[in-house]
Amino acid sequence: MSLTKVSMVDVVKKQYLYKLKAYSQVFMSLIFIQLLAVLFSMNGVGGLGSSEGSFQIEIKYFSAVMVVAFTMLWGFITAIIITTKAYRNDDFVFVTNRASSNLSNIVFLLTASIIGGITSMLSTYLIKVIVYYLISDVSLKSTSVMSAPNEFFLGSFSTFLYIFLFCALGYLIGTLVQINKVFAVLIPAAFFGGLIFDGLRGNEGVIAKGFNFFFMEPSLTLFLIKVIVTAGLLISFAFALSNRMEVRS
Amino acid sequence: MTVIECRGLTKVYGGAKALNNLSCNIEENKITGLIGRNGAGKTTLLKIIAGFLKETSGELTVFSENPFNNLLVSANVIFIHDQMNLPTSLNLKEILETAASFYENWDHDLANRLLEYFSLNPLQHHNGLSKGMKSTFNVIFGLAARVPLTLFDEPTSGMDAAVRKDFYRALLKDYLAHPRTIIISSHHLNEIEDLLEDILLMKDGKELLHLPIADLKEWGIGLQGKTAIVDEWTQNKELIYTKSVGFDQSYVVVRNDFSESEWQKARIAGLELTPVTSSDLCVYLTSKTKGGIDDVFNKG
Amino acid sequence: MIYYITSLMHYIREGVKRLILNLDGTKPIYVQISEWLENEILNGNVASEQKIYSQYQLAEIFNINPATAAKGLNILADEQILMKKRGLGMFVTGNAKEMILNKRKNQTLKRLVQEIVLEAGRLQVSKEELIDMIKTADIGGTEQ
Repeated sequence: MSLTKVSMVDVVKKQYLYKLKAYSQVFMSLIFIQLLAVLFSMNGVGGLGSSEGSFQIEIKYFSAVMVVAFTMLWGFITAIIITTKAYRNDDFVFVTNRASSNLSNIVFLLTASIIGGITSMLSTYLIKVIVYYLISDVSLKSTSVMSAPNEFFLGSFSTFLYIFLFCALGYLIGTLVQINKVFAVLIPAAFFGGLIFDGLRGNEGVIAKGFNFFFMEPSLTLFLIKVIVTAGLLISFAFALSNRMEVRS
Repeated sequence: MTVIECRGLTKVYGGAKALNNLSCNIEENKITGLIGRNGAGKTTLLKIIAGFLKETSGELTVFSENPFNNLLVSANVIFIHDQMNLPTSLNLKEILETAASFYENWDHDLANRLLEYFSLNPLQHHNGLSKGMKSTFNVIFGLAARVPLTLFDEPTSGMDAAVRKDFYRALLKDYLAHPRTIIISSHHLNEIEDLLEDILLMKDGKELLHLPIADLKEWGIGLQGKTAIVDEWTQNKELIYTKSVGFDQSYVVVRNDFSESEWQKARIAGLELTPVTSSDLCVYLTSKTKGGIDDVFNKG
Repeated sequence: MIYYITSLMHYIREGVKRLILNLDGTKPIYVQISEWLENEILNGNVASEQKIYSQYQLAEIFNINPATAAKGLNILADEQILMKKRGLGMFVTGNAKEMILNKRKNQTLKRLVQEIVLEAGRLQVSKEELIDMIKTADIGGTEQ
């Protein structure tokens, strides 16, 4: 029997198509989590109120920021889940090596982030519609995609970048945990420890700085570069770590 | 052509040597039986061949390439084992369709016909199947993939006798139509020996014997008779197995290097010479003591 | 020993096509295959100068590895009961039948006789007694 020749690109493509089909529950959870976030947004994400005599003024802001936050968390968890043994070993039932398995995972996470980004933006309209019908005295900014296409695409794109950044982080953390279970305790401990430490000192700590580094960037180009470089580093690190990982059941 | 070449292969698992300086070659288009006790290193060897595990030291090549992280090896090798976890979100039909997209020589028609023959519901999920059904599905997967190197690790675990028999027949028929290299490990040597061309017997991570199965049947011989006479005939021979039978009688298994005339003399001396079945011989060769379980009870 | 006697009985009962091999038997399968092929030739199922089963056909019939079947064929080729024709397969030679009969007389029968003599010794049956037993043995009227 003659040997079958294969190319990396071909295998990655096949693995990716397989993952789109096999990981469909990832998208079910996206719908669920975004609807939940929309529900939470109904209370308004910010507001102010004042009263004078018998007058009372209350101003509430409604936006999809909650949906974006939830979706980023979803991306983070999805990335961790697909690094687990059950998912990784499934790849090896079919044709793969570690590089093609990782690459197809990343392409899948990119797809998931794009879908997450677009649906987050679309949820803005859902929120607007709900608010319009449920609450009186609202002032709505633009009402349709077509009325402000640039805003929509820009919003989707930057949301996609945020989600993908979290995916990359989740992917690295998931890979670390697969290598040693100690990381499952160590990483959350370091994160919350850092938060508490920052809080105690009362000034900006590493975590807050990191947050500002990405979320307070006003230039889209700079932001794009920051995300690409950071995600690239996180993913390469995960690739390097997993490239010697054995398949054990 | 040699498909698998392995030199001084060692694999250490948490301090213990699962494979200990193993060397062997597997020839193209042969069905080889991989036999050994639990813990002899059979599964470890197969996992290294499939590129799942990385050797600690030594060298192993499949199609002249190191299988670890090798796409060529992955595309041309399939490893079927009872711990196989297939995607839980896909049903059997979808799994087969996915496999069809990955394996170039995949025979989808055969897969479907086997699925139907073994009454597996294509809309079922793999994790919902019973152990025997899982094994049945796994071997269908392995046969239909039709890759140049097929590895079956305990493929029949949980299958009932009828399904096992059908599987052996299916394996042989597909092999006759599409000759390829097959390694099959099993605890049921007596069931598979007729299918095999070669046998690789492993013990403690090493190769104990590697020879055509036909030669294995003549490799050992059992002598039974009066203890004194048996002892006299087996003086300078390595005893593979000993057992006392009744009063002053013993049964001993030694290597069969008797000449035709020695055979006759031994018979005339009152010894009964009997061939040793392959599966008995493998049990004797791989046991830790010469008397087997009887030794445990004879100590007191 | 039982196997030899039963195989002799089958051999005597000509015309009975035996498809089930004694695969659990202690005799190597390839030997059983070559004996089965000999029986096929003796029975006339495969005439001389005719093509005999290929190793793959034998593997299929008996559910055995084709290499084992080839080994069974090669035994007969070595004994010139079969001959190889390049690219065409194996054929039964002209005097295959006689050769098989001679071989069986010289080898199988001889060995069986030795077994009988040994067993007779164990049972303290004298030679004369044994010869009488053979003379009076009923072989169903068939002359070989």
